[in-house]
Amino acid sequence: MKQTAPRSNYLGVGGWIWAGNYKLERYLYLLHRITGLGMLLFLTFHLTATTVFRIQGQEVWETTMALLSNPWLKAGEYLVAAAFVYHGMNGLRLILQEFGFLLGKPTPPIYPYKDALRKKRLWVVVMMVVIFILALVFLFDFIV
Amino acid sequence: MRRTRLHLLHMFSGIAIAVLAGIHMVALHLEEVLAFFGVDASEPTSWGAMIARSSQGIWVGIYIALLAFLLYHALYGLRGIILELTPSARKERVITWLFVVVGIAVFIWGSYVPISLLSS
Repeated sequence: MKQTAPRSNYLGVGGWIWAGNYKLERYLYLLHRITGLGMLLFLTFHLTATTVFRIQGQEVWETTMALLSNPWLKAGEYLVAAAFVYHGMNGLRLILQEFGFLLGKPTPPIYPYKDALRKKRLWVVVMMVVIFILALVFLFDFIV
Repeated sequence: MRRTRLHLLHMFSGIAIAVLAGIHMVALHLEEVLAFFGVDASEPTSWGAMIARSSQGIWVGIYIALLAFLLYHALYGLRGIILELTPSARKERVITWLFVVVGIAVFIWGSYVPISLLSS
């Protein structure tokens, strides 16, 4: 009898981006992961600057700060601030929803059905507006 | 149950980071906004301002607590991402213990520096 290998449903890292029928929340989750990894990378640089360089005294500290005032690095620093705002607000939404808040009351499944994702969508939009406003506040302070 | 508690701690540390890193970010990045509310926070990254903060116990406490929550949250999060790539049980244990050792080492070094600068 002919044997065929079962189809692998393991998608690896590729599955982060697409595994069929992804909705907005799934991409927010992907962005949550990317911002988390980005901030972890920043944390390693930041901890090096604030421990290894700081403990060496005023001269090394001031040289480091002069280096960090480079406009490209300032832009990178703003991206970290924006990532922090996004990761924090989206994380707060995820925590609230995990504990059962912001989900709306259960409704009987009568046509036309209203799925759970659409009941939560309002809070997703509210969260995105708050992120946008906070990111603008940080942008204002970075460019002024 | 252990994994549930670790996950709960991940969420709790996330809230703690939002508060503590929020204080850190506002104090160090929102000088113009703070000036609008009458708080003088000009040049927060200058040597003088940094030393002034480092000599205050409250700031040192915030930094050390933030470091502890950050290291747990970041390393537990990274571990979760790596475990999604389905390593073997042996590799999983190696990754977990590697992260525990790295986390403790970075925490000891990262808290030694502000404590040593407290008296400077």
